[in-house]
Amino acid sequence: MSRIDEILNIANHLPPFPKVALQVMKMLNDPKVKAKDLAKVIKYDSAITANLLKTCNAAYFGLSRKVSSLDDALVIVGQDILKDIIIASSSSRFYKGGAGEGYELEQGELWRHSVATAIMAKLLAKHFPKVSPDTAFTAGLLHDIGKRFLSSFVASDFAKIVKLAYGGKMSFVEAEKEVLGMTHAELGGMIMERWEFDEELRRAVRQHHDPDALEKGELTALLAIANTQVITLGVGAGADGLTGKLHGEGLKKYGISSLDLECYLAELLTEMDKAEEMFALAE
Amino acid sequence: MKVIIGISDMRIGTKADDVLITYSLGSCIGVVLWDPDAKVGALLHYMLPDSGIDASRAATKPFMFADKGVPRMFKEIYKHGAKKSRMKVYVVGGSQVMDEAGMFNIGKRNQMIIRKMFMKNNVMITREDVGGNVNRTISLEVGTGLVRMKVSGKGEVIL
Repeated sequence: MSRIDEILNIANHLPPFPKVALQVMKMLNDPKVKAKDLAKVIKYDSAITANLLKTCNAAYFGLSRKVSSLDDALVIVGQDILKDIIIASSSSRFYKGGAGEGYELEQGELWRHSVATAIMAKLLAKHFPKVSPDTAFTAGLLHDIGKRFLSSFVASDFAKIVKLAYGGKMSFVEAEKEVLGMTHAELGGMIMERWEFDEELRRAVRQHHDPDALEKGELTALLAIANTQVITLGVGAGADGLTGKLHGEGLKKYGISSLDLECYLAELLTEMDKAEEMFALAE
Repeated sequence: MKVIIGISDMRIGTKADDVLITYSLGSCIGVVLWDPDAKVGALLHYMLPDSGIDASRAATKPFMFADKGVPRMFKEIYKHGAKKSRMKVYVVGGSQVMDEAGMFNIGKRNQMIIRKMFMKNNVMITREDVGGNVNRTISLEVGTGLVRMKVSGKGEVIL
Protein backbone atom coordinates (compact mmCIF):
# COMPACT_ATOMS: atom_id res chain seq x y z
CA MET A 1 0.00 0.00 0.00
CA SER A 2 1.41 3.42 -0.90
CA ARG A 3 1.84 6.09 1.74
CA ILE A 4 -1.07 8.15 0.46
CA ASP A 5 -3.31 5.06 0.36
CA GLU A 6 -2.38 4.30 3.95
CA ILE A 7 -3.42 7.82 4.95
CA LEU A 8 -6.66 7.64 2.97
CA ASN A 9 -7.32 4.32 4.65
CA ILE A 10 -7.39 6.14 7.97
CA ALA A 11 -10.13 8.42 6.74
CA ASN A 12 -12.08 5.35 5.61
CA HIS A 13 -11.79 3.60 8.96
CA LEU A 14 -12.39 6.56 11.16
CA PRO A 15 -14.14 6.30 14.51
CA PRO A 16 -17.47 8.05 14.13
CA PHE A 17 -18.21 11.48 15.54
CA PRO A 18 -20.73 10.99 18.35
CA LYS A 19 -24.17 10.74 16.73
CA VAL A 20 -25.78 12.32 19.77
CA ALA A 21 -23.77 15.49 19.24
CA LEU A 22 -24.80 15.86 15.62
CA GLN A 23 -28.42 15.25 16.54
CA VAL A 24 -28.36 17.78 19.38
CA MET A 25 -26.70 20.38 17.15
CA LYS A 26 -29.50 19.95 14.63
CA MET A 27 -32.16 20.19 17.34
CA LEU A 28 -30.57 23.35 18.69
CA ASN A 29 -31.11 25.06 15.34
CA ASP A 30 -34.81 24.81 16.03
CA PRO A 31 -35.70 27.66 18.39
CA LYS A 32 -38.79 25.78 19.62
CA VAL A 33 -36.88 22.76 20.87
CA LYS A 34 -37.65 21.86 24.49
CA ALA A 35 -35.13 21.08 27.23
CA LYS A 36 -36.71 17.72 27.98
CA ASP A 37 -36.36 16.61 24.34
CA LEU A 38 -32.70 17.57 24.41
CA ALA A 39 -32.19 15.72 27.68
CA LYS A 40 -33.67 12.54 26.20
CA VAL A 41 -31.12 12.56 23.38
CA ILE A 42 -28.08 13.69 25.37
CA LYS A 43 -28.59 10.99 28.04
CA TYR A 44 -27.84 8.34 25.41
CA ASP A 45 -24.17 9.33 25.47
CA SER A 46 -22.81 9.05 28.98
CA ALA A 47 -19.42 10.55 28.06
CA ILE A 48 -21.04 13.66 26.62
CA THR A 49 -23.35 13.97 29.62
CA ALA A 50 -20.45 13.68 32.04
CA ASN A 51 -18.34 16.18 30.10
CA LEU A 52 -21.22 18.60 29.83
CA LEU A 53 -21.59 18.63 33.61
CA LYS A 54 -17.84 18.98 34.06
CA THR A 55 -17.53 21.98 31.75
CA CYS A 56 -20.67 24.03 32.07
CA ASN A 57 -19.60 25.53 35.40
CA ALA A 58 -16.37 26.87 33.89
CA ALA A 59 -16.05 30.59 34.53
CA TYR A 60 -15.62 30.97 30.77
CA PHE A 61 -19.34 30.38 30.25
CA GLY A 62 -20.28 32.82 32.98
CA LEU A 63 -23.40 31.09 34.30
CA SER A 64 -25.27 32.86 37.07
CA ARG A 65 -25.51 29.78 39.30
CA LYS A 66 -23.94 26.36 39.71
CA VAL A 67 -25.31 23.52 37.61
CA SER A 68 -25.46 20.04 39.13
CA SER A 69 -27.67 17.93 36.85
CA LEU A 70 -28.35 17.56 33.14
CA ASP A 71 -31.92 18.81 33.45
CA ASP A 72 -30.68 21.76 35.43
CA ALA A 73 -28.03 22.50 32.79
CA LEU A 74 -30.49 22.46 29.94
CA VAL A 75 -32.69 25.02 31.66
CA ILE A 76 -29.95 27.39 32.79
CA VAL A 77 -27.49 27.20 29.90
CA GLY A 78 -28.47 29.28 26.88
CA GLN A 79 -28.69 27.52 23.52
CA ASP A 80 -25.59 29.18 22.07
CA ILE A 81 -23.45 28.16 25.00
CA LEU A 82 -25.00 24.71 24.98
CA LYS A 83 -23.81 24.24 21.39
CA ASP A 84 -20.24 25.10 22.42
CA ILE A 85 -20.37 22.77 25.41
CA ILE A 86 -21.82 19.87 23.41
CA ILE A 87 -19.25 20.18 20.66
CA ALA A 88 -16.39 20.42 23.17
CA SER A 89 -17.77 17.50 25.18
CA SER A 90 -17.95 15.38 22.03
CA SER A 91 -14.66 16.36 20.40
CA SER A 92 -12.36 15.91 23.37
CA ARG A 93 -12.38 12.09 23.09
CA PHE A 94 -10.28 12.35 19.90
CA TYR A 95 -7.57 14.40 21.59
CA LYS A 96 -6.68 12.11 24.48
CA GLY A 97 -3.38 10.34 25.11
CA GLY A 98 -0.60 10.93 22.64
CA ALA A 99 -2.67 12.76 20.01
CA GLY A 100 -0.17 15.05 18.31
CA GLU A 101 2.95 13.17 19.50
CA GLY A 102 4.35 13.13 15.98
CA TYR A 103 4.36 16.92 16.10
CA GLU A 104 6.33 16.86 19.38
CA LEU A 105 3.24 17.91 21.29
CA GLU A 106 3.01 16.78 24.90
CA GLN A 107 -0.10 15.00 26.11
CA GLY A 108 -3.11 17.33 26.06
CA GLU A 109 -1.36 20.05 24.06
CA LEU A 110 -3.22 19.45 20.80
CA TRP A 111 -6.50 19.79 22.70
CA ARG A 112 -5.23 22.87 24.50
CA HIS A 113 -4.33 24.41 21.16
CA SER A 114 -7.75 23.49 19.76
CA VAL A 115 -9.69 24.98 22.67
CA ALA A 116 -7.58 28.14 22.58
CA THR A 117 -8.23 28.46 18.84
CA ALA A 118 -11.95 28.00 19.45
CA ILE A 119 -11.92 30.75 22.08
CA MET A 120 -9.95 33.07 19.80
CA ALA A 121 -12.26 32.30 16.86
CA LYS A 122 -15.25 33.26 18.96
CA LEU A 123 -13.59 36.53 20.02
CA LEU A 124 -12.88 37.38 16.38
CA ALA A 125 -16.37 36.43 15.17
CA LYS A 126 -17.72 39.96 15.55
CA HIS A 127 -15.59 41.02 12.57
CA PHE A 128 -17.23 38.39 10.38
CA PRO A 129 -20.94 39.08 9.85
CA LYS A 130 -21.54 35.86 7.91
CA VAL A 131 -20.11 33.58 10.60
CA SER A 132 -22.06 32.60 13.70
CA PRO A 133 -20.00 32.51 16.92
CA ASP A 134 -20.79 28.84 17.55
CA THR A 135 -19.64 27.84 14.05
CA ALA A 136 -16.42 29.77 14.71
CA PHE A 137 -16.02 27.85 17.98
CA THR A 138 -16.59 24.47 16.29
CA ALA A 139 -14.10 25.31 13.54
CA GLY A 140 -11.49 26.17 16.16
CA LEU A 141 -12.04 22.94 18.07
CA LEU A 142 -11.74 20.69 15.05
CA HIS A 143 -9.36 22.51 12.68
CA ASP A 144 -6.38 20.32 13.58
CA ILE A 145 -8.24 17.02 13.75
CA GLY A 146 -6.10 15.90 10.80
CA LYS A 147 -3.02 16.14 13.06
CA ARG A 148 -4.54 13.56 15.38
CA PHE A 149 -4.60 11.03 12.56
CA LEU A 150 -1.53 12.15 10.60
CA SER A 151 0.65 12.20 13.71
CA SER A 152 2.13 8.72 13.33
CA PHE A 153 3.01 9.34 9.67
CA VAL A 154 4.72 12.60 10.58
CA ALA A 155 6.62 10.75 13.32
CA SER A 156 7.97 8.12 10.92
CA ASP A 157 9.23 10.74 8.43
CA PHE A 158 9.99 13.39 11.03
CA ALA A 159 13.60 14.13 10.08
CA LYS A 160 12.74 14.64 6.42
CA ILE A 161 9.81 16.94 7.14
CA VAL A 162 11.68 19.03 9.70
CA LYS A 163 14.65 19.43 7.37
CA LEU A 164 12.40 20.86 4.65
CA ALA A 165 10.33 22.96 7.07
CA TYR A 166 13.35 24.67 8.59
CA GLY A 167 15.30 24.85 5.36
CA GLY A 168 14.11 28.39 4.81
CA LYS A 169 11.49 28.29 2.09
CA MET A 170 8.90 25.71 2.95
CA SER A 171 6.35 25.80 5.74
CA PHE A 172 5.80 22.67 7.85
CA VAL A 173 2.50 22.09 6.08
CA GLU A 174 4.15 22.31 2.66
CA ALA A 175 6.74 19.82 3.90
CA GLU A 176 3.94 17.46 4.98
CA LYS A 177 2.56 17.65 1.45
CA GLU A 178 5.98 17.09 -0.11
CA VAL A 179 6.93 14.10 2.04
CA LEU A 180 3.58 12.47 2.87
CA GLY A 181 1.54 13.55 -0.14
CA MET A 182 -1.10 15.14 2.06
CA THR A 183 -1.34 17.85 4.70
CA HIS A 184 -3.07 17.60 8.07
CA ALA A 185 -5.47 20.31 6.85
CA GLU A 186 -6.48 18.29 3.78
CA LEU A 187 -6.91 15.16 5.87
CA GLY A 188 -8.91 17.22 8.38
CA GLY A 189 -11.25 18.37 5.62
CA MET A 190 -11.86 14.74 4.62
CA ILE A 191 -12.49 13.74 8.21
CA MET A 192 -15.01 16.57 8.60
CA GLU A 193 -16.77 15.25 5.50
CA ARG A 194 -16.92 11.71 6.89
CA TRP A 195 -18.32 13.15 10.08
CA GLU A 196 -20.99 14.96 8.06
CA PHE A 197 -20.14 18.50 9.05
CA ASP A 198 -21.37 21.04 6.54
CA GLU A 199 -19.35 22.28 3.58
CA GLU A 200 -18.53 25.66 5.17
CA LEU A 201 -16.73 23.93 8.07
CA ARG A 202 -15.04 21.32 5.89
CA ARG A 203 -13.70 24.00 3.60
CA ALA A 204 -12.41 26.15 6.46
CA VAL A 205 -10.58 23.17 8.01
CA ARG A 206 -9.13 22.19 4.62
CA GLN A 207 -7.92 25.72 3.84
CA HIS A 208 -6.81 26.97 7.24
CA HIS A 209 -3.11 26.86 6.26
CA ASP A 210 -3.60 28.40 2.80
CA PRO A 211 -1.35 31.52 2.67
CA ASP A 212 -4.24 33.24 0.88
CA ALA A 213 -6.83 32.12 3.44
CA LEU A 214 -7.85 35.73 4.14
CA GLU A 215 -9.04 36.04 0.54
CA LYS A 216 -11.27 32.94 0.85
CA GLY A 217 -14.62 32.62 2.60
CA GLU A 218 -15.25 34.35 5.92
CA LEU A 219 -15.03 31.22 8.07
CA THR A 220 -11.74 30.21 6.42
CA ALA A 221 -10.32 33.69 7.00
CA LEU A 222 -11.47 33.77 10.60
CA LEU A 223 -10.07 30.30 11.33
CA ALA A 224 -6.70 31.10 9.73
CA ILE A 225 -6.36 34.25 11.85
CA ALA A 226 -7.42 32.49 15.05
CA ASN A 227 -4.98 29.63 14.46
CA THR A 228 -2.14 32.03 13.64
CA GLN A 229 -2.82 34.00 16.80
CA VAL A 230 -2.70 30.90 18.99
CA ILE A 231 0.47 29.62 17.26
CA THR A 232 2.00 33.08 17.70
CA LEU A 233 1.31 32.78 21.40
CA GLY A 234 3.08 29.42 21.32
CA VAL A 235 0.09 27.42 22.60
CA GLY A 236 0.35 23.98 21.01
CA ALA A 237 3.05 25.09 18.61
CA GLY A 238 5.06 21.89 18.43
CA ALA A 239 7.73 20.85 15.95
CA ASP A 240 5.99 22.95 13.31
CA GLY A 241 6.67 26.06 15.39
CA LEU A 242 5.76 29.27 13.58
CA THR A 243 6.63 28.00 10.12
CA GLY A 244 3.20 28.83 8.72
CA LYS A 245 2.62 31.39 5.98
CA LEU A 246 -0.29 33.81 5.94
CA HIS A 247 -0.65 36.96 3.85
CA GLY A 248 -1.89 39.52 6.35
CA GLU A 249 -3.08 42.29 3.97
CA GLY A 250 -6.57 40.80 4.05
CA LEU A 251 -7.00 41.71 7.73
CA LYS A 252 -7.81 45.29 6.75
CA LYS A 253 -11.01 44.44 4.97
CA TYR A 254 -12.31 42.86 8.17
CA GLY A 255 -11.38 45.98 10.11
CA ILE A 256 -8.64 44.21 12.11
CA SER A 257 -5.38 46.10 12.78
CA SER A 258 -2.15 44.69 14.18
CA LEU A 259 -2.92 46.44 17.47
CA ASP A 260 -6.30 44.68 17.52
CA LEU A 261 -4.42 41.39 17.18
CA GLU A 262 -2.41 42.30 20.29
CA CYS A 263 -5.56 43.18 22.23
CA TYR A 264 -7.15 39.87 21.26
CA LEU A 265 -4.07 37.99 22.47
CA ALA A 266 -4.37 39.71 25.84
CA GLU A 267 -8.07 38.85 25.94
CA LEU A 268 -7.41 35.24 24.94
CA LEU A 269 -5.04 34.76 27.85
CA THR A 270 -7.67 36.04 30.28
CA GLU A 271 -10.35 33.80 28.76
CA MET A 272 -8.04 30.77 28.88
CA ASP A 273 -7.59 31.29 32.62
CA LYS A 274 -11.35 30.81 32.95
CA ALA A 275 -11.55 27.69 30.81
CA GLU A 276 -9.52 25.13 32.81
CA GLU A 277 -12.50 22.77 32.97
CA MET A 278 -12.54 22.61 29.19
CA PHE A 279 -8.81 21.98 28.91
CA ALA A 280 -9.19 19.13 31.40
CA LEU A 281 -11.62 17.25 29.13
CA ALA A 282 -8.89 15.45 27.19
CA GLU A 283 -7.00 14.29 30.28
CA MET B 1 12.69 22.86 42.70
CA LYS B 2 11.35 23.20 39.18
CA VAL B 3 9.41 26.45 38.79
CA ILE B 4 7.28 26.81 35.65
CA ILE B 5 6.72 30.34 34.45
CA GLY B 6 3.49 30.76 32.48
CA ILE B 7 2.74 33.33 29.79
CA SER B 8 2.74 36.85 31.29
CA ASP B 9 4.52 35.82 34.47
CA MET B 10 7.92 36.25 36.17
CA ARG B 11 9.60 34.33 38.96
CA ILE B 12 12.74 34.73 41.03
CA GLY B 13 14.85 31.72 42.04
CA THR B 14 17.11 31.97 45.06
CA LYS B 15 17.94 28.34 45.88
CA ALA B 16 20.79 26.42 44.29
CA ASP B 17 18.47 23.62 43.17
CA ASP B 18 15.86 25.95 41.67
CA VAL B 19 15.29 25.50 37.94
CA LEU B 20 13.22 28.22 36.31
CA ILE B 21 11.61 27.14 33.04
CA THR B 22 9.19 28.59 30.53
CA TYR B 23 7.75 26.56 27.66
CA SER B 24 6.88 27.39 24.13
CA LEU B 25 7.94 30.95 23.41
CA GLY B 26 6.49 31.86 20.03
CA SER B 27 6.34 35.60 19.47
CA CYS B 28 6.64 36.09 23.24
CA ILE B 29 10.03 36.81 24.75
CA GLY B 30 11.76 35.08 27.64
CA VAL B 31 14.25 37.16 29.61
CA VAL B 32 16.70 35.43 31.96
CA LEU B 33 18.76 37.32 34.57
CA TRP B 34 21.41 35.67 36.73
CA ASP B 35 23.84 37.10 39.22
CA PRO B 36 26.79 34.74 39.77
CA ASP B 37 27.76 36.30 43.14
CA ALA B 38 24.33 36.68 44.68
CA LYS B 39 23.38 33.29 43.13
CA VAL B 40 19.96 34.58 42.25
CA GLY B 41 18.09 34.27 38.98
CA ALA B 42 14.88 35.42 37.35
CA LEU B 43 12.85 34.45 34.32
CA LEU B 44 10.19 36.60 32.66
CA HIS B 45 7.80 35.49 29.88
CA TYR B 46 6.23 38.60 28.39
CA MET B 47 3.70 38.54 25.60
CA LEU B 48 3.30 42.05 24.21
CA PRO B 49 5.50 45.12 23.86
CA ASP B 50 3.44 48.03 25.10
CA SER B 51 0.88 48.23 27.91
CA GLY B 52 -0.64 51.33 26.31
CA ILE B 53 -3.18 49.06 24.58
CA ASP B 54 -4.81 48.03 27.85
CA ALA B 55 -4.06 49.97 31.02
CA SER B 56 -6.39 47.95 33.25
CA ARG B 57 -4.87 44.63 32.23
CA ALA B 58 -1.39 46.11 32.74
CA ALA B 59 -2.37 46.89 36.33
CA THR B 60 -3.41 43.30 37.07
CA LYS B 61 -0.89 41.51 34.84
CA PRO B 62 2.20 43.74 34.54
CA PHE B 63 4.34 40.86 33.27
CA MET B 64 2.16 40.60 30.17
CA PHE B 65 3.91 43.68 28.77
CA ALA B 66 7.61 44.43 28.19
CA ASP B 67 7.33 48.10 29.20
CA LYS B 68 5.92 47.22 32.63
CA GLY B 69 7.32 43.73 33.15
CA VAL B 70 11.03 44.25 32.43
CA PRO B 71 11.58 47.17 34.86
CA ARG B 72 9.63 45.31 37.50
CA MET B 73 11.72 42.19 37.00
CA PHE B 74 14.93 44.19 37.58
CA LYS B 75 13.48 45.82 40.70
CA GLU B 76 12.51 42.41 42.09
CA ILE B 77 15.91 40.80 41.50
CA TYR B 78 17.74 43.81 43.02
CA LYS B 79 15.82 43.12 46.23
CA HIS B 80 17.64 39.77 46.38
CA GLY B 81 21.10 41.34 46.15
CA ALA B 82 21.65 41.19 42.40
CA LYS B 83 23.68 43.98 40.77
CA LYS B 84 23.32 45.17 37.18
CA SER B 85 27.11 45.23 36.60
CA ARG B 86 27.43 41.52 37.41
CA MET B 87 24.30 40.17 35.86
CA LYS B 88 24.15 37.80 32.91
CA VAL B 89 21.26 38.67 30.62
CA TYR B 90 19.66 36.33 28.08
CA VAL B 91 16.89 37.20 25.63
CA VAL B 92 15.08 34.48 23.72
CA GLY B 93 11.95 34.25 21.52
CA GLY B 94 10.25 36.83 19.33
CA SER B 95 9.45 34.52 16.41
CA GLN B 96 6.75 35.12 13.87
CA VAL B 97 4.88 33.44 11.06
CA MET B 98 5.79 34.34 7.48
CA ASP B 99 3.69 37.34 6.44
CA GLU B 100 5.15 39.90 4.04
CA ALA B 101 2.52 42.42 5.09
CA GLY B 102 3.94 42.37 8.63
CA MET B 103 0.51 42.31 10.26
CA PHE B 104 1.46 39.35 12.45
CA ASN B 105 4.88 40.72 13.45
CA ILE B 106 4.37 40.90 17.21
CA GLY B 107 7.62 38.97 17.57
CA LYS B 108 9.60 41.75 15.92
CA ARG B 109 7.90 44.44 18.01
CA ASN B 110 8.66 42.42 21.13
CA GLN B 111 12.35 42.32 20.14
CA MET B 112 12.54 46.01 19.32
CA ILE B 113 11.16 47.24 22.59
CA ILE B 114 13.54 45.27 24.79
CA ARG B 115 16.57 46.35 22.73
CA LYS B 116 15.48 49.96 23.14
CA MET B 117 14.90 49.60 26.87
CA PHE B 118 18.24 47.87 27.43
CA MET B 119 20.13 50.44 25.39
CA LYS B 120 18.59 53.30 27.33
CA ASN B 121 19.44 51.66 30.64
CA ASN B 122 22.91 50.37 29.74
CA VAL B 123 22.05 46.70 30.08
CA MET B 124 24.33 44.42 28.06
CA ILE B 125 22.82 41.26 26.62
CA THR B 126 25.09 38.26 27.27
CA ARG B 127 23.45 36.00 24.68
CA GLU B 128 20.31 36.22 22.61
CA ASP B 129 18.47 33.94 20.26
CA VAL B 130 15.56 35.79 18.73
CA GLY B 131 13.42 35.86 15.61
CA GLY B 132 12.92 33.30 12.89
CA ASN B 133 9.94 30.98 12.91
CA VAL B 134 10.86 28.51 15.64
CA ASN B 135 9.31 27.82 18.98
CA ARG B 136 11.63 27.97 22.01
CA THR B 137 11.69 26.63 25.55
CA ILE B 138 14.21 28.13 27.97
CA SER B 139 15.40 27.23 31.45
CA LEU B 140 17.86 28.51 34.07
CA GLU B 141 19.63 26.49 36.76
CA VAL B 142 19.94 29.00 39.57
CA GLY B 143 22.83 27.22 41.28
CA THR B 144 25.11 27.14 38.23
CA GLY B 145 23.68 29.80 35.90
CA LEU B 146 23.33 27.22 33.14
CA VAL B 147 20.81 28.39 30.53
CA ARG B 148 19.35 25.71 28.29
CA MET B 149 17.28 26.40 25.21
CA LYS B 150 15.19 23.87 23.32
CA VAL B 151 14.21 24.83 19.78
CA SER B 152 11.32 23.22 17.88
CA GLY B 153 12.53 20.67 15.37
CA LYS B 154 16.20 21.34 16.28
CA GLY B 155 16.84 20.03 19.79
CA GLU B 156 18.54 21.48 22.84
CA VAL B 157 21.54 23.83 23.15
CA ILE B 158 23.29 25.57 26.04
CA LEU B 159 23.42 29.35 25.74
